[in-house]
Amino acid sequence: MNDMRTLERIVNSEAIKISARNVQVHYGTTQAIKDLNVDILDKTVTAFIGPSGCGKSTFLRCLNRMNDTIESCRVTGQIMMDGANIYDPRIDPVQLRARVGMVFQKPNPFPKSIYDNVAYGPKIHGLTRNKAELDEIVETSIRKAALWNEVKDRLQSPGTGLSGGQQQRLCIARAIATGPEVLLMDEPCSALDPIATAQVEELIDELRAQFSVVIVTHSMQQAARVSQRTAFFHLGSLVETGETGQIFTSPKDPRTEAYITGRIG
Amino acid sequence: MTDATSGGLSAAAQPKSSLLQPSRLMKKRNAAETRFKAYGIAAIVLSLATLGFMLVTIFSDGVSSFFQAKLSFPVELTARTLDPKGNRDRADMVKITTLGYNKVLAVAFEKELAARGIAIEGQSAKDVVEMISKDAAGSLRATVLANPSLVGSTLDATVLATGRIDGYLKGRVTMQTAERDSNVTPAQLQLADKLREAGMLTSSFNWGFLTMPDASDQRPEAAGLGVAILGSAYMMLLVLVTCVPVGVAASIYLEEFAPKNFWTDAIEVNISNLAAVPSIVFGILGLAIFINFAGMPNSSTLVGALVLSLMTLPTIIIATRSAIKAVPPSIRDAALGIGASKMQSVFHHVLPLAMPGILTGTILGLASALGETAPLLLIGMVAFVDNYPAAPMEGFLDPATALPVQVYGWAQRADPAFIERSSGAIIVLLVFLVAMNVLAILLRRRFERRW
Repeated sequence: MNDMRTLERIVNSEAIKISARNVQVHYGTTQAIKDLNVDILDKTVTAFIGPSGCGKSTFLRCLNRMNDTIESCRVTGQIMMDGANIYDPRIDPVQLRARVGMVFQKPNPFPKSIYDNVAYGPKIHGLTRNKAELDEIVETSIRKAALWNEVKDRLQSPGTGLSGGQQQRLCIARAIATGPEVLLMDEPCSALDPIATAQVEELIDELRAQFSVVIVTHSMQQAARVSQRTAFFHLGSLVETGETGQIFTSPKDPRTEAYITGRIG
Repeated sequence: MTDATSGGLSAAAQPKSSLLQPSRLMKKRNAAETRFKAYGIAAIVLSLATLGFMLVTIFSDGVSSFFQAKLSFPVELTARTLDPKGNRDRADMVKITTLGYNKVLAVAFEKELAARGIAIEGQSAKDVVEMISKDAAGSLRATVLANPSLVGSTLDATVLATGRIDGYLKGRVTMQTAERDSNVTPAQLQLADKLREAGMLTSSFNWGFLTMPDASDQRPEAAGLGVAILGSAYMMLLVLVTCVPVGVAASIYLEEFAPKNFWTDAIEVNISNLAAVPSIVFGILGLAIFINFAGMPNSSTLVGALVLSLMTLPTIIIATRSAIKAVPPSIRDAALGIGASKMQSVFHHVLPLAMPGILTGTILGLASALGETAPLLLIGMVAFVDNYPAAPMEGFLDPATALPVQVYGWAQRADPAFIERSSGAIIVLLVFLVAMNVLAILLRRRFERRW
């Protein structure tokens, strides 16, 4: 842990954006998550860490109901976002996903132009009235994703032609173009080299000003670098959650300590 | 630890055998690989040879059907025979049958022979006139009726020669076969030689083969593929219109929306099985449902197309589903992740990416429908159809035939001229199939996008 400046980080928001109570997730007959309770703060980066298969990605996908696309997946319990249970039958997951954006592990731009990639979300949600407004959203989103200088001259060239790191930033631009309140990131840097990783991490830190960011990561250094709060998952349950500095320096649970010192996982 | 490593190293440092000397096992493995490659090459050579043999046979038999011997001579359209009332009224002239036109042709032909001084050695006038196709009178009558003012003038007519004379020009009929043939005499062939020298008998490209309808047994020279090509085209159009929307919609539903349960599994198995059902079974089904139950007209392209659609649907569904399956799930996740509905993710992202596969599958399905014969026999499309179907839409209810059925029909006729035409029809069919495959490849190239 070379990056102990995390100690100095302050969590500058106490507003709870998402709170999960008694969440259970089953894939068929196997239970992936049991009795999970966690609060995710607004305008904060929350990192989910834990060994492979501990359920952190599964839980992340519960937050925007992407798990609905998996046939055998069953979610019970309560996940409240702004006072509404997102698993309420009256809630349309499509509408929810416009407010809870997601960035995936592997960069997955559409095989369309860079412009169309970013413009797609605003278009389908009817966020703009004319071309000028759309252009503006596209530009601000790409700027926020720290990609503008690299692509401003070739917005009409295919998004798939960018490098891996650029593609991932394009996906982030695409996710923030719909104006989400929460941004979920599922190991966004696992397919990137260290330089691209650094760019994306810097970006995450900037995005914190506008959104609540939840990031799943395998790299504890990354969690320490970018997050204010960290949640440690182990074997489908949440072991410990708290401020990142506290988790990495004085974990309360012996399992957390074992994991961050490299003895399990 | 160091002890163990050094011990292992020293043991490994002793080479067991030279790398330059392949071991016995290695030799065996290499031999197996060489054998396998040889089998592969042999299989490819064998199939190419078979294909080559097939094409050579078809082309050597069939290309001649694209050429046709024709007789040209001036015909005086005598008003006395063709328009006895002399008023050039079509209604009256219709009463003159082909018999009258036969007479006119015979007179004109004999007159021209005499004028050119071509001797008719030991042949009756009847034999000489029989060198003209029985189709000639009919086509002359059609020309005159279309333009009654021609009567009284002299027309430079070019009429078909009989199949035997045509065969003589192509080398199919010889003096030896003519001696044993009741339809042609060696004397007629000798006369044909003279006519060729005089320039009256020529062989030219046979447009009629592509445009004319089928003809009776007595006049193979007049038989053409017109009705068959039109019938096949109508059916392909209808198959396309019925199959593609249904097939693609069914595939999208099954692949993207349907829950995975017992029923969808059963449907999937049944679709795969339907693709393997012998095509003649679909013919019986079509006969029972469309003709006997629904009362649609026999031999019509509509019924043919519906039967072919039933047959093609499973192929299209299977091809479309595999094309949709091949679209990476990350694209669907990406679309859903930014709040696209299921339908939007399918129509905006999955379908465009699956398009090349869908198009290829559809066109190959159509190509197999184009070549299908058996089910069409059962719904009566093998009947002798002499009239072109009308223009769409009512034309879809008119009787017609199809290219492969025409091949089948001609191959059954006794006259060797029909066998030649059968091969010619196969060439036409192959040209259509190759064209469709090329189209499939072009569309695939055009729509292919990387992701």
